[in-house]
Amino acid sequence: MSRFQNKRSGIINSMELKKPQIQLVYWVIFVLLIVLALICILPPLWVIISSMKDLKEFLQVPPTIIPKSFHPEKLMDTWEMLSFGKYYLNTFILAIGNVIFNIVLNGLMGYVLSRLKPKGSNVVFTLMLWTMMLPNAVAMVPVFKNIIDVPLLHINLTDSYVPMWLMAGANAFNVMVFKSFFDGIPKDLIEAARLDGCSDLGIFFRIIIPLSVPVIMTMLILTVDGAWKDFFWPYLTIRDQNRFTVMVKIFSMANKTVDLQMISLTFAIIPPVVLFLIFQKYIMQGFTLSGIKG
Amino acid sequence: MSAKKNITSYGQVSSGVRRSSFLSTLKRDYKAWLLMLPSLILFAVFSWQPLISGVYLSFFKTKGYNAVRFVGLDNYKAVISDAAFTSALGNSFKYIFWSLLIGYLLPIIAAILINEMVHLKPFFRFSVYFPGMVPGIAAAMMWKIFFDPNPTGLLNVLRTHLGMNPSMWLANPKLTIPLIVVTMTWSGFGSTTILYLANLQGVNQELYEAAEIDGAGFFSRLKSITIPSISSLLYLFLVLQIIGVFQVMEQPLAMTEGGPNNASLSLMLQSYFYAFRYFRADRAMAVGTITFLILIGLTVLYFKVNKNSDTD
Repeated sequence: MSRFQNKRSGIINSMELKKPQIQLVYWVIFVLLIVLALICILPPLWVIISSMKDLKEFLQVPPTIIPKSFHPEKLMDTWEMLSFGKYYLNTFILAIGNVIFNIVLNGLMGYVLSRLKPKGSNVVFTLMLWTMMLPNAVAMVPVFKNIIDVPLLHINLTDSYVPMWLMAGANAFNVMVFKSFFDGIPKDLIEAARLDGCSDLGIFFRIIIPLSVPVIMTMLILTVDGAWKDFFWPYLTIRDQNRFTVMVKIFSMANKTVDLQMISLTFAIIPPVVLFLIFQKYIMQGFTLSGIKG
Repeated sequence: MSAKKNITSYGQVSSGVRRSSFLSTLKRDYKAWLLMLPSLILFAVFSWQPLISGVYLSFFKTKGYNAVRFVGLDNYKAVISDAAFTSALGNSFKYIFWSLLIGYLLPIIAAILINEMVHLKPFFRFSVYFPGMVPGIAAAMMWKIFFDPNPTGLLNVLRTHLGMNPSMWLANPKLTIPLIVVTMTWSGFGSTTILYLANLQGVNQELYEAAEIDGAGFFSRLKSITIPSISSLLYLFLVLQIIGVFQVMEQPLAMTEGGPNNASLSLMLQSYFYAFRYFRADRAMAVGTITFLILIGLTVLYFKVNKNSDTD
C-alpha cells in the first residue's frame, strides 16, 4: 500500500487514498483498465497463437477458443508455400526508398524553411500548412492519373515502388517536424561553418544532419513502420503479384481459407511488433514530435 | 583607400554595398530555392496539381482519366440523383456520430484513468498502444474474422457460451457502422491516449491541492483543472477526428465493401468505386469535390466556434 503514499500525479491524491471507499474506487478503475488492456492485447495474440492450430482443429465444430494443438512448423510451411520471403523483400525495398526520399527531401525542405529562408519562402511555409490541413478527398483520382502518366515525362509508374517513394518525399507534416527541430539548432554553429567556407549543402550534411540524429532516427523508424503498414497506394498501383507488398498480399488472401488468412495476418503483425519492442523509445519520441506540432 | 570606404560604409549603407548585398542575397536565394526545387515539384505533382485538377475535371466528361468535353454540373446531377450517394452522405455523418461517441471519448477517459494509476502504469501505457502496432488493414481483416456471422465465428461462439443468440455483426445494417468504428478505434486510440497522458502528466499538482483545500470533489477537480489543461488537444483531436472519419475508406472497403446494401458505404468509398470499379473518373471527382467542400465547411465552422469560445 506504500505506493499510494507516493502518488504524484492525477486527480485523486495520496491523502484521499487512505479512505477505504476511495481505495475501492481505485481498484474498480484498475480492473476496468485491466479489461481494456486485455481487449487491446488479446486479439492479435489470439490470431498469432491460433494460426498455429492444425487444420483439423480449424474445421472443428464447435470451434475451440483456446487452441489445443500447437504446430509452429506450420508457419514455416506456409511461409514457403506462399513465398512470403518475396513479399517481405518487396516491402523492405519500398521502405528503404521511402526512408531516403523522406529524410533527404523533407529534411532539405525543412532546412531551407528553417535556416536559409530565401525571399518568398514564407509563401512555401504557408502552402505547407495548407497542404497539411486540406482534405485529400478530391486528389485520389488525379494522383492516380499522375502516376499512370507522369506530367511532362509521360511515363507509367505502376508496378513499381517509385510512386510511393515520391509521395514519401512530399510529406508536409514531416517537413514541419524537421523544420521545428532545425529551428532549435544554435545559429552560431551554422555561422561558424559558413565563415569557414562551408556551402549551404555542406552545412546541411556536415552540421545539421549530425546534430539531428535523434529526429532522423525517429523519422527513420516511423517511415519503415509506415511503409510496412501502407496499403492504399501499393494496392492501387501494383498489379504484378510478384511485386506485392505484405499488406497487398494479405488483402488478396481475403477469399482464402481462415487458417491461411490467420497465418498471413501473423506474418503481417509480427515485424511491426518486433520493431516497436526494439525501438519503443524512438517511436514514443515520435509522439512528442507530433505533439510539439499539434 | 578601399578599406577605409568599407569601414565608413559599415554604418551607413552605401549604394555599392547595398547592390552587392542584394546580389549576394539573390545568389544565396537562388541556391536555396534550388535545394527546395525537387520537393516543390513533388508537392506540385502529388498534392497541389491533383487538388486543382480534381475540382476542374469534375465539370468535364472524362474518358479514361482525360477530359473530353465540358458538361457543367452534369456529373454532380448524376451523382446526387444516385441513391447510393444519399446513403453515403448519411452514412458519413453516422460514421462521425459513432466515432465521436466511441473513438473520441475513449482516449480521453483512458488517459485520465491511467493517469490515476500507481500500479502497472507502464503496462497500461504499453497495452493501449499495442493495437497501434498492428497494421490498419490487418486489424480490419482480423476483426472481420472475429465478426464472422456464422455460428462458428469467434465472437458468436463466445456469445453462445454466454447463453446469447449468434449475431449477424457486420451483416446487420444497424450494427455495421458502429462495428467498423469500434475497429478503427481499437486501431487508433492508443496514440491519442498517450498524447493526452503526456499532457496530463504536465499538470501542476499544486492546482489539485489548492482545489482540494477549497473543498472541490473529484468531478469538480476534473471539470475545472483536468479538462482545461488538455483543452487545446481536445479541440485539435475533435477536428482531426471529424476530418479523418469523414474520409473513411479502407476499413469499409476491407470489411464490408460498403455493404450490406450500402449500409456502410462512405463518400470516399463511393468515390473510389466510381473511379476504380465503374471507371467513371468524372463522377469520382464530383463526389470528391462535394466531400472536400463539406470538410472545408466543417473546418471553417470549427474555427469560428473556436474563436468565439476563445473570446468568452
